[in-house]
Amino acid sequence: MLNLISAFLSTEVAKTISGGLIREGEGGIQIDPAMIFAGLIGAVVWNVTTWLLGLPSSSSHALFGGLIGAAIVGGGFAVINYGVVVSKVLLPAVLAPLIAGTVAYLGTKLAYRITTRKGQVASPKRGGFRYGQIFSSSLVALAHGTNDAQTTMGVITLVLVAGGFQTAGSGPEFWVVAACGLAIAIGTYSGGWRIMRTMGRGLTEVKPAPGFAAESSTASAILASSHLGFALSTTQVASGSAVGSGLGRKGAQVRWSTARRIAVAWLLTLPAAALVGALAAFVAHLGIAGIIIDTVAGALIILVMFLVSRRNQVGHHNAISELDHAGEIVKIKSKKKKKKPQQVGVAE
Amino acid sequence: MTIDWFALVVVALATLVSALVVVGSYGLGVRLLAVAADAAGPRQPLVRSTAYLCFGVCAAAVLYGIYLIVPAFH
Repeated sequence: MLNLISAFLSTEVAKTISGGLIREGEGGIQIDPAMIFAGLIGAVVWNVTTWLLGLPSSSSHALFGGLIGAAIVGGGFAVINYGVVVSKVLLPAVLAPLIAGTVAYLGTKLAYRITTRKGQVASPKRGGFRYGQIFSSSLVALAHGTNDAQTTMGVITLVLVAGGFQTAGSGPEFWVVAACGLAIAIGTYSGGWRIMRTMGRGLTEVKPAPGFAAESSTASAILASSHLGFALSTTQVASGSAVGSGLGRKGAQVRWSTARRIAVAWLLTLPAAALVGALAAFVAHLGIAGIIIDTVAGALIILVMFLVSRRNQVGHHNAISELDHAGEIVKIKSKKKKKKPQQVGVAE
Repeated sequence: MTIDWFALVVVALATLVSALVVVGSYGLGVRLLAVAADAAGPRQPLVRSTAYLCFGVCAAAVLYGIYLIVPAFH
């Protein structure tokens, strides 16, 4: 529900993708649908690959990578608006998780500082944060919609511009916005709920107070970024917050090796998808036959990976969730650590 | 190549301020509820209503934030 509503809230991110990333018209290139198709193939192939390897990656970044790669093949390196790429995709990708992490760290500290009651037997009753989490996770869902639904809108608008149905540089049409919002909402209900659950759980099973702090900072970081048209990855920001809030608790340590592995996967996503996208665009420019080759090759790769994954039993029941990775980074020294997750409603 | 550093700073500050206001006011509310549960006598209703006021501040902050980012409201 919130996903659907949020799609209507803002279209800044969609404008970044459809209007800013690739130079069109004068001094740029005419984007054709084949190029976008190639970009999408690049994104999908890279996404399935990382999913197979159990690496956390951002589908939004894979999408940008694929499109950029395809555009470069189509019109050379000059067609990419590097200023926009750097200031609206790359820098936010690095900084947003850091910002969210720092704020989550401070928020956790603050939450503990405020609720700790000195002396006496008085209990802090931090269980109250559990109710707050109902709202903060709704906010995360809202933020998720404002950013990720817009990525889809941006691509559809790009296709429309490429096909000549819409003037270059204009914002997304109303029906595109509605369709994307609906698609994201349906996706969340039908299968995406699993992702939402991981996003919620990865944080909340820690403890209510840091969970609330982490979700608040995730939501505000994403909403603020969406407003300014930064296309960032919801997962990355949420991971940053999870790490930050974990650090805010006493006796926490960072597992730098795990952190490094995740960071490498994040950094690789854009160039790798760009490479695949470039390759696909190169083939697609051979004409109709090229597009058919692309489709068949892409489908084959996905099919093969699917079969391999079936053999390895990396199904949804044991797939490595991205936030679990983030959770692994922070090691919390705690006597209660090994206990089962607490039941809902039980105050600590 | 122009990089909009100012926008990045705005995002960082907005995130910091909004998250801390939300967490701070909610945390204060939680604490005051805990205090109210233990406190006896005439102070209890006062503390409790202050706690609800804190939750109210928190909700208002969230709503204001949403109001700010929706262009339709301006």
